[in-house]
This record gives sequence, C-alpha cells and structure tokens, in this order.
Amino acid sequence: MNHALETRFVALLLAPLMVVMLLFFLLPAGSIIWTSLHGAKLDPSTYLDLLTSALFHKVLTTTLVIGIQATLVTLVVGYAIAMHLARLSPRHRAVMMIFVMLPFWTSILVKSFAFTIVLGDAGLVNRAIAFVFGNKEPIQMLFNRTGVLLGMLNFLLPFMVLPILSNLMAQDPALARAAQTMGAGPLRIFLRITLPLSLPGVLSGVLMCLSLAIGSYITPALLGGRTDMMLANLVDFYTRQTLDWPAASAIAVILLVITGTIVALLTRVRGGQAEVL
Amino acid sequence: MNELVDRTTRFWRATGGFVAWAGYLFLLMPTLIIIPVSLNGSQNLTFPPERLSLALFAQFFADPSWWGAALQSLKIAVASTLLTLALAVPAAYALVRGDFFGRRALNLFLMSPILVPVVVLGLGFYLNFNTFRIGGTDLALVLAHTILIAPFVVVSVSAGLRQIDPALESVAIIMGASRARVFFQVVVPQIKDSLVVGALLAFLISFDEVVASYFVAAPATTTLPVKMYSALRWEISPVIAAVSAMLTVLSLVFSIALIALRKSPRGH
Repeated sequence: MNHALETRFVALLLAPLMVVMLLFFLLPAGSIIWTSLHGAKLDPSTYLDLLTSALFHKVLTTTLVIGIQATLVTLVVGYAIAMHLARLSPRHRAVMMIFVMLPFWTSILVKSFAFTIVLGDAGLVNRAIAFVFGNKEPIQMLFNRTGVLLGMLNFLLPFMVLPILSNLMAQDPALARAAQTMGAGPLRIFLRITLPLSLPGVLSGVLMCLSLAIGSYITPALLGGRTDMMLANLVDFYTRQTLDWPAASAIAVILLVITGTIVALLTRVRGGQAEVL
Repeated sequence: MNELVDRTTRFWRATGGFVAWAGYLFLLMPTLIIIPVSLNGSQNLTFPPERLSLALFAQFFADPSWWGAALQSLKIAVASTLLTLALAVPAAYALVRGDFFGRRALNLFLMSPILVPVVVLGLGFYLNFNTFRIGGTDLALVLAHTILIAPFVVVSVSAGLRQIDPALESVAIIMGASRARVFFQVVVPQIKDSLVVGALLAFLISFDEVVASYFVAAPATTTLPVKMYSALRWEISPVIAAVSAMLTVLSLVFSIALIALRKSPRGH
C-alpha cells in the first residue's frame, strides 16, 4: 500500500515554512550579495579593495589559522573522550554523556564569563599555580590566542565527540577480536583497525568544527586579544563602527563561501546528510 | 617483548584516560563555578566565594533594564517557538510522508540556516529588515529566531515521524477521517515526545541567541543575551554572575528534560 501524501497536500503543508524561508532567509542572503556589489551598479570594487587590504589579509589568515588550531586541539581531546565513552557500559556512558551535553546547552556567554573568572590573572588557575609553585608572574590565558582556543575547545568538543563516538560504537567488535586472535596487541589493533575505521567520523567532526570555528564571533570578541580579530568580528566592525555595508557584506560573502565549501565536503562525507547532531 | 607491548599499551591507555578526564572537567568547569560565584555577593567576582549572599540577585531584580531584558527574551522565545511549531511541524510531516521530486534538496535547504555562520545571517537580517521597515521591532527578532530554530524542530519532528507506522494513518483515511483529523488524532499523540523535544530546543536556542539578535535588536527590544554581551564587552558588571547562574539553571533543567524524553524508545 502506498502511504505517500498527495502532492497537493505536500505543497500545502510546505508552503508556510517555504514562504518564511524565502522572505527571511534567501532574501537576506540576496541582500548581502546585492549590497556587496553596490546594488544595481554591480560594482566589484569592494572585493578588489579587500584583496589588496592588509587588514583583510591579516584577519583572513588569523581566522583560518585559529580555525585549524582549534579544530586540531578539539580533535585530540575529542578523540580521547570518544574512546573513553565507547569503552564504558551503556549505563555509565549515559551518565558521562551528560558531561558532554550539558555544556552544549549552556549559553556561550555564560561560558565566556566563567572563563574570564577562572583564567584571569587572579583567577582560579593562576592562584592554584601560585599556591603550588610559589608566587610568580601570572600566566596570561585571556585576551590572547590561548583564551580563544580554550573557549573554542569548550564550545566545539560536543560536535567532535558525537560523530567519532557514533562511529566507534558502530564498529564490529569481531574485527578487534579477530586481530587479537591473530596476535595483535591493543596498540596495534588501535592503529591498524580502530583508528583507520573511525576516519569517516573523524572527518565529519573535523569539518563540522572547522566550519563552526571559522564562523565564530562571540569567542574571539570576548576571550581573544586585540590582534586576534576574526572575519565575523570584521563583519560586525564594518557594519556598526564604520557603517561600510558593502565591505561588511563582501566579507560576509567570503566567509559564507569558505564555510559553504567545508559544509559541502561535510555533506559528501555524511552521504547527503548535513544534520548537526 | 610481550611485556614491552603491554607497557606501551598501558601508557597510551592511561594517557588517553587522563586526556578524557581533563576534557570532562574542562567541559563542566564553567557550569560548576558559576553558581558559587553568583552566591558570593561581593562586587569583585571570585571563586571560591568568601561568604554567601543573594546581593547580586537582588541587584538584578532592582534594575528594570536587566529583568526587562529577561522578560523580553522570554516573550521573543515563546513567540518564536510557537510560530516555528506552526510552520515547521506541517513541513516535517510533508517531508517524511510525501514522495516528491527534490525532497532531499529541500531537506538540505531547510537545514541550511544551521550551517551558515550566524554573523552572516545577522547581517542579512539587518539589511533585509531595514528594507522591509521592520528593523528594531519585536517582529524582526521573532522572524530571525524562527529562521534559526526551524531546522531543529524539523529534525526532531521528522525523527519522531520516521519511528511511527504510516499504516495507521492510511487506515484512518480509509475509515473516512479527514487529513486534519488524522493528523491531530493519529499522528500528534504518537509524536508527542518529539514535539516537546523540538519545542524545548527551539525555546532554549531562541532564549540564548545572541549574535543574530545583536544585529536585529534596537535598544528598546534588547534581549537578555544582547544586554549581557554588551555588559561583558564594556564593563564587567557583577550582576552578570547572577544572570549566568540563572541561565545555567535554565539549561540544566532543559538538559534533564531532554535526556528524560530521549530515553523513551520513540525519541532519537
């Protein structure tokens, strides 16, 4: 029996959301492109100016470097967490998953604020270090690259852990057992079986984190230093400070092209699925 | 030889375990310290607190610009959640039960707001809403939030729909029920949990949304996260500790509710 809805019902049910998406999602995207080209003038000068602008080059480089650094740190910690979770019994795993998911639901502002208390010169970490090693110069962990990377790590970890974990759990345990029978040690099993088989999950997590990191706005604004401005902050700077909407729009378009390319790769890795979680 | 392998293995396992536990601690740390800090009551924020006091909460409720922003966030989150449910639930039903050309492409399109950097969306809303002359109104915030949360509702409702047997709907149709009646009496009761999950997600994301709101809100329509963001940037007011503690409790309640709902076999 065919359970499919008739086409006219489908159209009727989809119409309201589609209208709102067209007016308030596609049209805004169009406004950005339109503005970046100076409206009907179709003048590409903003893009040409950006290509020669030292500020833009610096911010673009910073954005890509921070994105890659944050993703790599997240990969190392995220893989360790996913491995740890995968080895637990389902009951224990459910409990530990709360540790991963709770920060996911915590406002990024709350987390940034908490970091300023913990990582500041007189913060918990520096006082603990002073207590153990005696009074020294406090370690600068805020308003510099370290602050941005720690903030991003906290934000990105769930996006890395979840795809790797689901990949590890889907692996057939018979493979590891077979390797063990053939005389492979645990390290060899990990390097030759677990790790290579988990690469799709890793790639999926890496691309998701890279795309999120490159588009970040709050973390660099609140935890980064003056020299670590990222593309998203530059968009805001041109929108609010200099009111140069074509420049803001052109940077937004460039940011969209970069993250769009990463997401396109991601959907290929995930076989046409782009769901976040 | 064998002993050597064992020792390296044990070393790597211990290292992995250590990194994992450091990771858990790092993830939990912001949530764990915020409530004690807010109960400190003193104007210089420290952890651990020296004495207990509710002074910062009193300061929050004494300042209309703070609790007004909280009420504004509540209003916007409720309105966007309701609007999104009305738009996204029928769409999810059509996507799961319909069989038409371009369904996958359409699904991807409906997911795309999650994948676009929020700052790009924010700028787009800003330019577009000015053209429509709704910039700085509550409507602008509700529409912006609706675009951002609709994908989450579509995903959770679609997941719920995929778990239930479409034959029940066909039977109801054959027995003469109208499409609307089938939807409300056969489908909705079966996907109740997914609807609640979708609504909770939508509400929390809207309540916490900062970047898009920052571009769209006017001083008169400022939401709590926007006010908090400005406060964090320009003058770290101790009231932020109280706000953070309340937001943390809110997220905690929502996570527990979501975990409880997802435990049921029908959740995803």
